[in-house]
Order: sequence, then structure tokens, then C-alpha cells
Amino acid sequence: MADVLLEVKNLKKYFKTPRGLLHAVDDVSFTLERGKTLGVVGESGCGKSTTGRTILRLEEPTSGEIWFEGENITHADKHKMRKLRQDMQLIFQDPFSSLDPRQTISEAIEEPLKLSGTIKNHDERFMRVLELMKTVGLAERLVNTYPHELDGGRRQRIGIARALAMNPKFIVCDEPVSALDVSIQAQILNLMKEVQKEMNLTYMFITHDLSVVNHFSDDIAVMYLGRLIEKAPSEKLFEKPMHPYTQALLSAIPIPSLHNRKERIIIKGEITSPIDPKPVCRFANRCPYTEKICTEKEPPLVELEPGHFVACHMCQGNCSKPAPTMEEAEAHAAAEAHAGAAEA
Amino acid sequence: MADEILKIKDLVIQYVSDGEVTEAVNGIDLELKEGQTLGLVGETGAGKTTTALSVLNLVPKPQGRVVSGEVFLDGENVLEKSEREMEAIRGNKVSMIFQDPMSSLNPVMTVGEQIAEVVRIHDNVDEKTAMARAREMLETVGIPGERAGEYPHQFSGGMKQRVLIAIALACSPKLLLADEPTTALDVTIQAQVLELMRGLKKKFNMAMVMITHDFGIVAEVCDEVSVMYAGRIVEHGNLQDIFDNKRHPYTEGLFNSLPDINNRKSSLKPIKGLMPDPTNLPSGCPFHPRCDYVCEKCSKEMPPKTWINDTHYVRCWLYENTTESRLTEGE
Repeated sequence: MADVLLEVKNLKKYFKTPRGLLHAVDDVSFTLERGKTLGVVGESGCGKSTTGRTILRLEEPTSGEIWFEGENITHADKHKMRKLRQDMQLIFQDPFSSLDPRQTISEAIEEPLKLSGTIKNHDERFMRVLELMKTVGLAERLVNTYPHELDGGRRQRIGIARALAMNPKFIVCDEPVSALDVSIQAQILNLMKEVQKEMNLTYMFITHDLSVVNHFSDDIAVMYLGRLIEKAPSEKLFEKPMHPYTQALLSAIPIPSLHNRKERIIIKGEITSPIDPKPVCRFANRCPYTEKICTEKEPPLVELEPGHFVACHMCQGNCSKPAPTMEEAEAHAAAEAHAGAAEA
Repeated sequence: MADEILKIKDLVIQYVSDGEVTEAVNGIDLELKEGQTLGLVGETGAGKTTTALSVLNLVPKPQGRVVSGEVFLDGENVLEKSEREMEAIRGNKVSMIFQDPMSSLNPVMTVGEQIAEVVRIHDNVDEKTAMARAREMLETVGIPGERAGEYPHQFSGGMKQRVLIAIALACSPKLLLADEPTTALDVTIQAQVLELMRGLKKKFNMAMVMITHDFGIVAEVCDEVSVMYAGRIVEHGNLQDIFDNKRHPYTEGLFNSLPDINNRKSSLKPIKGLMPDPTNLPSGCPFHPRCDYVCEKCSKEMPPKTWINDTHYVRCWLYENTTESRLTEGE
């Protein structure tokens, strides 16, 4: 039996708004094994950050269950959560606004150790701070500097050190490198991989950058308007994406190479409102293959191949045509682009 | 030459604040022909945006000053123009699109009025004609013309960026400066906007300077690339030169920092160290403290341009004596 660290069952998080219920996370289920990384991708507003925050109970789930190390923590009380949070940490996107400008590096890293009372002796605590700084590659001479004196990469290292301070088991990384320059981004990704190996950490890696997620994750979950629409091992998802949205998403990545250039699948329109969505496929209005069933019934998430889950009527064989492969979808897009050009 | 729309010669720009001098641009040469797209690639603080602003003569004053150099737009030196003369040029001959579509539009004016404003100012037409032109421009960028009466908050991020493109193109400029136009957008929307820009560039036969940090976007829309580091162009060439024949260690480092989408097992090789402090740039080649191939000369003297072939040059001492290899490669 696999060593499951985290299991999420039918998780929902709705927000009340003046215009109705906003379905930020809608019926999301997955399991995550110890030491692995689950990448969660999707565009702004798809609910990926809310999923992460709800799992950490920073938002109260509307319904569903969260199991951590075999224990149901969905309704764990404040006292319990305080303890649990030592095992579950969060790394934020913006290293510019997630640090207290009036705290020095050492104070920032020391804070969690102090609050939790894990190390009571001041000198010992300071030794631990220096140890953590070494782990994340911050020079000791920076110990008394303030965040504004540091660049984004170093600030993100502080954020990582703070998260590591409690020796956590699970870290939700919410776009940890999006605000950084590429050369620095690679440094931080490598650092996160190293500490994962060393400490046997489990990551939930939230990002909109698909090339980063492919590099970093074991499994990838794709979200669209609050729903999990496809989940598979990373290689599988990139080799054989099934959901038309995943195909378009992968096809939209600009590839930094002049070779093997392919026709782009460009989906029309934009994301619709997540407020009181109708019980139909949420991608139907942008999907190039929509049929009647797509606008009548919401497709469930079904395991079509071992480990490969897809929520799409066409992929599940309920439409008149079989689902196209990535190559066929690209050919379809090329033909459409050609027809469009001829028209013009 | 007549078909040279932009020519920058030995441009040096500094910002002075609190007695500290920030060396933003340190001797840049650029040439851009009609209808061509140049990618300006580099990381935060490389001087990309400052270079673009100089073309509009909009380097923020008084802290910013052009120390030396010339910027010729369609044969005329914009740095010698008066503010009044520049007003006639901006938005007309040259336009700029900014990174953040959310903050670049006026929230209390309808998008139609914002497009019509440009047309009215430059083409000297009446309100009605300008508005008709605004609706036409909206259609061109893929927004129904009847939405001209709506306000920016009624549009999504991708739509706002389309509106900005419509404003920029309303007077059919000869040169468009695009400063990270898709960075704030989601990937599928980015794909839509890039597709649109490529189509419009062809339609209007416009030259474009695309400022970006994303080599994926460069591969998609550019003809030539200049890689910038600490206010200098360290390598320049056409797409083949830069993607398949890169020479500068910094260019190589940037490519190695990118995750390879086709090979997820490949490890990232980041560039060591950090971007230099622009108020205190390293001596000699500004990249030398981070360079794996550093030699003694690098910290002493800035390397000159070494031409690898007719289109490709690099500023690096590694290629100082490559005249022979350059000749063989040229054949």
C-alpha cells in the first residue's frame, strides 16, 4: 500500500458574493503520497490557490473531507490545527509582500520557532536559525539585514527557511517562483528539490507555468473554473493529454526553440463566471468539440487509464466522435487557421 | 538609409537619486528596419524599458538623464525634439504598449473615447469620425464595436490588453514598442494576444520592439534578438544565431535556466550569483563575477563587439581572436 500523506475527498469551497455563490473549489478529490510533488495548474481564478489554502484550513471548507496522515482534519479544532500546522506549511508567491518589513532575516526565521515553543533556549534557537539559513543558501553575514535590502531570490529563500523551520511534512507552494527572474527561478527550484530530497517533503506545487510544473512534479492536476478536469503522472499528461482544455493549455506554452514548431491550438473566448455555474461542462462554451451532452450534463472525473483521470464527455466516449489525440487536435487547429487565412 | 525606422547610437542613460548614480543604459547600439521585430531580452534591471522610453523621449526627468548618444526615429533624432514636437510623434509615428493592462487605461473614460482621443489629436478629425475609427479599431483587435461605450472595469485582462493595442495602433504607427505585453496574462490568453499582434504587424507593416524575458515569445514573434545585461547588449543576432548558435555565457546561462518541456529529467543549471547593483557595476565586463569562463582580462576591460557573422555579434573576450573561425563559418 502506498504511503498516502494527504487525501482530499470531494472538497468544496464556495464564497458568498452579492451576485450569488462563487464556486471557487468544486468537488475536488485527490491523494498525495509522501515525498511526492503534486503540481496544480490552471489559469487565474481556477481555484488552485483556494484549494491549497482550504487544505491548510486557512479557509473553512464548505463541504468535503481532508485527511492528513490517516486522520480526518476537516473539523479539527483550533488547538489541534495549531499543532498540525507545524507539519503543514505554506510558501507564498510574492516575496515582497509576505515578509514583515520591520523584521530582520533572523527575526523572521526565528518567529515560528519562538511561537511554537519548540526551542526555548535563545542561543539554541539562534543556532537553528543559522542552520536554516545555511540550508537555504543565505550567507551568515545577512543575518541582521531587512527584507528591503535584499533581492527577490533571497527574500524567497527566507520564505522557504520559515516554512522549513518546523520540520514540516507537507508544504503548499503557491507560485513560489513566478515573481522571480529566470536565472534566479532556476536557483530556487533547485533548492526546493534539494530540501525535498533531504527532508522527504511532500509538495503541493501551485503554478500557472506549465514548463516549471513538468520539471518539478510527479503528478499534475489541471483545474478549470473550480473543477479538477484532468490528473495524471507528469510524463503521461505531457505525452498524452486528453482533455481539450489541457491540450490547448499545453499547446499555448511558448517554446524557446526554433525546431519542432507546431501549430498552436488557440481556444476562443475567456473564462466564464464561477458564480452559480450551471451543472454542465464548464469548458463547453470554449471547447472546439462541444456536443449536446456537454451542455446538458456535468462530466464526472473518471480514471480512464491507470492513474489518468479525466472529466470530459468526449474522452469518456459519450460523444459522437472519439476524443482527438494531441496530434489530431493540433492538426485540427492548423486546418482551422488555414481556413481562417483563406477567408481573410 | 530610408527603410531604417529606428537607429540608436551609443546611448547612455543614468538615473540620479540621493547622490547615487544608477547606470541604466551603458552604450547601446540598435538598428531596426521597417516591418521587422526586434526582441529585447534580459532580466529585471537590464535597462530594457529605459531603452524603449528613450525612443519616446520619455525617460523620467529630472532624475533620469541621457548622458550621450542619439536616437533616430525614421531619420530624426528624437532626443533633440521639443516637448511639443514629441507630442505630435508619440502615438502617431511610434506607440508603446505597457505590461500592466489593468493600470494603463483611464477608469473614468469609455474605451471608445480613449481610442478616439488618439485619433482626434493626431489626425485632426471631428468627434464622430474619430469614434467611428475607434469602433473599427476595436473590431480589428477582436472586440465587438458596440462595446466602445463600456468602461475598462467591464473588460477582462486580455480584453484590456486588446484595447491598449487598439489605442497604440489607431494612428498606424511605424514603430510599436511592446513592453512585456503578455506577462500579466494567462497562457491561453497570451496565445490569443500574440497571435493578434503577429497578424496586425503584418497588416500594418509595422516595426516592433518586443521587450520580454521569455525566449518562447521571442521564438514566436521576433526576427532579431538583442540580449541585454546591465545596460549593455551582450549578444545580438537573428533567431538562428541566438537560439542555435549562441556564444555569450550569459545567453547560454539564460537558456540553461529554462526547464526543458520535452525532457523533464533534465536538471536546471542556474546562473550563479545575482544581478549586479546598477549603482555599483563590476569593472570590465559586467557579467564577469557570474561567468564560468572568466579570465583575467574580463575584470579589467569591457569587451568590444566581435562579429561572428554578418548578423551576429557578441561582446565577450572569449571570442577575441575568432576572426578565422568567423571566416570559415561565414562561408
